[in-house]
Amino acid sequence: MSATHPKKRAADIGGDKAGAVDTADHGMKFWERQANALRTALRRNGLMSVDELRRAAEDLGDRYAKLEYFERTTFALRTVLLEKGYFTEESLAAKMAEVRKRFDVPRKKELPVKKKVKR
Amino acid sequence: MNPATGKQDGQRLPSTYTAAPGHRFDVGDRVVVKRSNPPGHRRTPHYIRGKTGVIERICGAFPNPEELAYGFDGEPKKVLYRVRFRQKEVWPAYRGPAHDVIEMEIFEHWLEPAQSQKT
Repeated sequence: MSATHPKKRAADIGGDKAGAVDTADHGMKFWERQANALRTALRRNGLMSVDELRRAAEDLGDRYAKLEYFERTTFALRTVLLEKGYFTEESLAAKMAEVRKRFDVPRKKELPVKKKVKR
Repeated sequence: MNPATGKQDGQRLPSTYTAAPGHRFDVGDRVVVKRSNPPGHRRTPHYIRGKTGVIERICGAFPNPEELAYGFDGEPKKVLYRVRFRQKEVWPAYRGPAHDVIEMEIFEHWLEPAQSQKT
Protein backbone atom coordinates (compact mmCIF):
# COMPACT_ATOMS: atom_id res chain seq x y z
CA MET A 1 0.00 0.00 0.00
CA SER A 2 1.35 3.38 -0.96
CA ALA A 3 2.38 5.73 1.80
CA THR A 4 0.71 8.51 -0.16
CA HIS A 5 -2.67 6.85 -0.69
CA PRO A 6 -5.00 9.80 -1.23
CA LYS A 7 -7.87 8.28 0.73
CA LYS A 8 -5.90 7.37 3.83
CA ARG A 9 -6.74 9.26 6.99
CA ALA A 10 -4.12 10.75 9.30
CA ALA A 11 -4.03 7.89 11.82
CA ASP A 12 -3.95 5.12 9.20
CA ILE A 13 -0.18 4.74 8.89
CA GLY A 14 0.28 0.96 9.06
CA GLY A 15 2.97 -0.03 6.54
CA ASP A 16 4.21 3.51 5.92
CA LYS A 17 7.86 4.41 6.24
CA ALA A 18 8.14 5.95 9.69
CA GLY A 19 11.82 6.40 10.56
CA ALA A 20 13.16 6.03 14.09
CA VAL A 21 10.72 5.88 16.99
CA ASP A 22 11.22 8.47 19.75
CA THR A 23 11.34 6.41 22.93
CA ALA A 24 12.12 9.25 25.34
CA ASP A 25 9.64 9.51 28.20
CA HIS A 26 8.31 13.04 27.78
CA GLY A 27 6.20 12.90 30.90
CA MET A 28 3.17 15.15 31.01
CA LYS A 29 3.21 18.93 31.11
CA PHE A 30 0.96 20.75 33.55
CA TRP A 31 -1.60 21.71 30.89
CA GLU A 32 -1.50 18.19 29.48
CA ARG A 33 -2.54 16.73 32.84
CA GLN A 34 -5.38 19.20 33.03
CA ALA A 35 -6.48 18.58 29.46
CA ASN A 36 -6.35 14.84 30.03
CA ALA A 37 -8.47 15.12 33.17
CA LEU A 38 -11.00 17.37 31.44
CA ARG A 39 -11.32 15.13 28.41
CA THR A 40 -11.65 12.00 30.53
CA ALA A 41 -14.26 13.57 32.81
CA LEU A 42 -16.38 14.79 29.91
CA ARG A 43 -16.20 11.45 28.14
CA ARG A 44 -16.99 9.44 31.27
CA ASN A 45 -20.03 11.63 31.79
CA GLY A 46 -21.28 10.86 28.31
CA LEU A 47 -20.73 14.22 26.60
CA MET A 48 -18.99 12.46 23.73
CA SER A 49 -17.54 9.12 22.71
CA VAL A 50 -13.89 8.25 22.23
CA ASP A 51 -14.83 7.49 18.63
CA GLU A 52 -15.89 11.10 18.07
CA LEU A 53 -12.61 12.32 19.51
CA ARG A 54 -10.63 9.97 17.27
CA ARG A 55 -12.58 11.11 14.23
CA ALA A 56 -12.08 14.79 15.09
CA ALA A 57 -8.34 14.17 15.53
CA GLU A 58 -8.12 12.42 12.14
CA ASP A 59 -9.99 15.37 10.63
CA LEU A 60 -6.86 17.43 11.36
CA GLY A 61 -5.38 15.87 8.21
CA ASP A 62 -1.79 17.02 7.61
CA ARG A 63 -1.78 18.82 10.96
CA TYR A 64 -2.29 15.50 12.76
CA ALA A 65 1.35 14.41 12.45
CA LYS A 66 2.68 17.90 13.21
CA LEU A 67 0.92 18.22 16.55
CA GLU A 68 1.96 16.48 19.74
CA TYR A 69 -0.38 13.90 21.25
CA PHE A 70 -2.07 16.15 23.82
CA GLU A 71 -2.35 19.04 21.36
CA ARG A 72 -4.13 16.69 18.98
CA THR A 73 -6.51 15.23 21.55
CA THR A 74 -7.28 18.66 23.01
CA PHE A 75 -7.98 20.09 19.57
CA ALA A 76 -10.30 17.13 18.92
CA LEU A 77 -12.09 17.83 22.22
CA ARG A 78 -12.52 21.48 21.23
CA THR A 79 -13.91 20.45 17.81
CA VAL A 80 -16.48 18.03 19.25
CA LEU A 81 -17.64 20.45 21.96
CA LEU A 82 -18.11 23.15 19.31
CA GLU A 83 -20.05 20.71 17.10
CA LYS A 84 -22.35 19.87 19.97
CA GLY A 85 -22.89 23.50 20.81
CA TYR A 86 -21.49 23.49 24.35
CA PHE A 87 -19.81 26.77 23.46
CA THR A 88 -19.09 28.93 20.42
CA GLU A 89 -15.73 29.98 18.96
CA GLU A 90 -16.40 33.46 20.30
CA SER A 91 -17.29 32.44 23.85
CA LEU A 92 -14.30 30.09 24.01
CA ALA A 93 -11.91 32.82 22.82
CA ALA A 94 -13.35 35.26 25.36
CA LYS A 95 -13.02 32.74 28.19
CA MET A 96 -9.45 31.87 27.21
CA ALA A 97 -8.50 35.56 27.23
CA GLU A 98 -10.07 35.99 30.66
CA VAL A 99 -8.33 32.92 32.13
CA ARG A 100 -4.98 33.81 30.60
CA LYS A 101 -4.99 37.09 32.57
CA ARG A 102 -5.18 35.38 35.93
CA PHE A 103 -3.37 32.11 35.26
CA ASP A 104 0.32 31.92 34.46
CA VAL A 105 2.27 28.65 34.71
CA PRO A 106 6.03 29.09 35.22
CA ARG A 107 7.89 28.22 32.04
CA LYS A 108 10.18 25.67 33.73
CA LYS A 109 7.24 23.42 34.61
CA GLU A 110 6.47 23.10 30.92
CA LEU A 111 9.54 20.96 30.21
CA PRO A 112 9.18 17.73 32.15
CA VAL A 113 11.17 15.49 29.78
CA LYS A 114 12.30 12.54 31.83
CA LYS A 115 14.91 10.00 30.85
CA LYS A 116 16.05 8.76 27.47
CA VAL A 117 15.13 5.10 27.09
CA LYS A 118 17.93 2.95 25.69
CA ARG A 119 17.05 0.84 22.70
CA MET B 1 -12.38 4.65 45.20
CA ASN B 2 -11.91 5.71 41.63
CA PRO B 3 -13.05 9.37 41.51
CA ALA B 4 -13.79 9.21 37.79
CA THR B 5 -16.20 6.29 37.95
CA GLY B 6 -17.34 6.49 41.55
CA LYS B 7 -16.60 2.79 41.89
CA GLN B 8 -14.37 0.94 44.30
CA ASP B 9 -10.93 0.11 42.93
CA GLY B 10 -10.94 -3.25 41.22
CA GLN B 11 -14.61 -2.98 40.37
CA ARG B 12 -14.94 -3.15 36.63
CA LEU B 13 -17.11 -1.12 34.32
CA PRO B 14 -19.85 -3.23 32.74
CA SER B 15 -18.71 -4.86 29.51
CA THR B 16 -20.25 -3.62 26.28
CA TYR B 17 -20.06 -7.18 24.95
CA THR B 18 -23.25 -8.72 23.68
CA ALA B 19 -23.58 -12.12 22.04
CA ALA B 20 -23.79 -12.15 18.27
CA PRO B 21 -26.61 -14.55 17.41
CA GLY B 22 -27.04 -13.19 13.88
CA HIS B 23 -23.43 -13.54 12.81
CA ARG B 24 -22.76 -14.12 9.11
CA PHE B 25 -19.43 -15.95 9.47
CA ASP B 26 -18.23 -18.84 11.64
CA VAL B 27 -14.83 -19.68 13.05
CA GLY B 28 -12.67 -21.12 10.25
CA ASP B 29 -14.50 -19.33 7.40
CA ARG B 30 -12.26 -17.69 4.82
CA VAL B 31 -13.07 -14.03 4.27
CA VAL B 32 -11.85 -11.15 2.13
CA VAL B 33 -11.66 -7.64 3.53
CA LYS B 34 -13.51 -5.21 1.29
CA ARG B 35 -11.28 -3.13 -0.94
CA SER B 36 -13.19 0.07 -0.52
CA ASN B 37 -12.30 3.69 0.25
CA PRO B 38 -15.35 5.27 1.86
CA PRO B 39 -14.70 8.73 3.30
CA GLY B 40 -14.78 9.36 7.03
CA HIS B 41 -13.76 7.52 10.17
CA ARG B 42 -13.20 3.84 9.29
CA ARG B 43 -11.93 1.08 11.55
CA THR B 44 -10.26 -1.05 8.89
CA PRO B 45 -6.72 0.03 8.05
CA HIS B 46 -5.87 0.41 4.37
CA TYR B 47 -3.10 -2.13 4.45
CA ILE B 48 -5.50 -4.98 5.24
CA ARG B 49 -8.15 -4.09 2.66
CA GLY B 50 -8.36 -6.65 -0.14
CA LYS B 51 -6.52 -9.29 1.92
CA THR B 52 -7.85 -12.78 2.62
CA GLY B 53 -7.92 -14.25 6.12
CA VAL B 54 -9.66 -16.80 8.32
CA ILE B 55 -12.15 -16.11 11.12
CA GLU B 56 -10.28 -16.88 14.35
CA ARG B 57 -13.11 -15.99 16.74
CA ILE B 58 -16.37 -14.12 17.03
CA CYS B 59 -15.72 -11.30 19.48
CA GLY B 60 -19.35 -10.27 19.95
CA ALA B 61 -21.59 -7.46 18.74
CA PHE B 62 -20.77 -3.84 19.50
CA PRO B 63 -22.13 -0.38 18.70
CA ASN B 64 -20.74 0.60 15.30
CA PRO B 65 -17.78 2.93 15.96
CA GLU B 66 -18.01 4.32 12.43
CA GLU B 67 -21.39 5.78 13.45
CA LEU B 68 -20.43 6.63 17.02
CA ALA B 69 -17.64 8.74 15.51
CA TYR B 70 -20.24 11.18 14.21
CA GLY B 71 -22.34 11.39 17.35
CA PHE B 72 -24.92 8.72 16.47
CA ASP B 73 -25.81 5.82 18.76
CA GLY B 74 -24.02 3.08 16.80
CA GLU B 75 -27.18 0.98 16.46
CA PRO B 76 -27.73 -1.58 15.11
CA LYS B 77 -24.73 -3.26 16.69
CA LYS B 78 -22.20 -4.83 14.35
CA VAL B 79 -20.58 -8.22 14.79
CA LEU B 80 -16.85 -8.02 15.38
CA TYR B 81 -14.51 -10.86 14.37
CA ARG B 82 -10.88 -11.57 15.01
CA VAL B 83 -9.44 -12.44 11.61
CA ARG B 84 -6.12 -14.20 11.10
CA PHE B 85 -3.96 -13.34 8.08
CA ARG B 86 -0.63 -14.72 6.89
CA GLN B 87 2.02 -12.04 7.19
CA LYS B 88 3.41 -13.07 3.81
CA GLU B 89 0.11 -12.25 2.20
CA VAL B 90 -0.32 -8.95 3.99
CA TRP B 91 3.25 -7.77 3.29
CA PRO B 92 4.56 -9.10 -0.04
CA ALA B 93 8.17 -8.37 0.99
CA TYR B 94 7.78 -10.07 4.41
CA ARG B 95 10.97 -11.96 5.28
CA GLY B 96 9.86 -13.80 8.44
CA PRO B 97 8.74 -17.44 8.70
CA ALA B 98 5.85 -18.55 6.49
CA HIS B 99 3.76 -19.47 9.53
CA ASP B 100 3.80 -15.93 10.97
CA VAL B 101 0.34 -14.42 11.22
CA ILE B 102 -1.25 -11.09 12.04
CA GLU B 103 -4.63 -11.01 13.77
CA MET B 104 -6.95 -8.06 13.51
CA GLU B 105 -10.42 -7.32 14.80
CA ILE B 106 -12.68 -6.36 11.91
CA PHE B 107 -16.40 -5.57 11.81
CA GLU B 108 -18.71 -7.77 9.74
CA HIS B 109 -19.65 -5.06 7.26
CA TRP B 110 -16.03 -4.97 6.09
CA LEU B 111 -15.93 -8.70 5.29
CA GLU B 112 -17.05 -10.81 2.31
CA PRO B 113 -16.86 -14.60 1.87
CA ALA B 114 -13.62 -15.62 0.10
CA GLN B 115 -14.25 -17.08 -3.37
CA SER B 116 -11.54 -19.74 -3.23
CA GLN B 117 -11.30 -22.33 -0.47
CA LYS B 118 -7.60 -23.01 -0.98
CA THR B 119 -5.32 -22.14 1.92
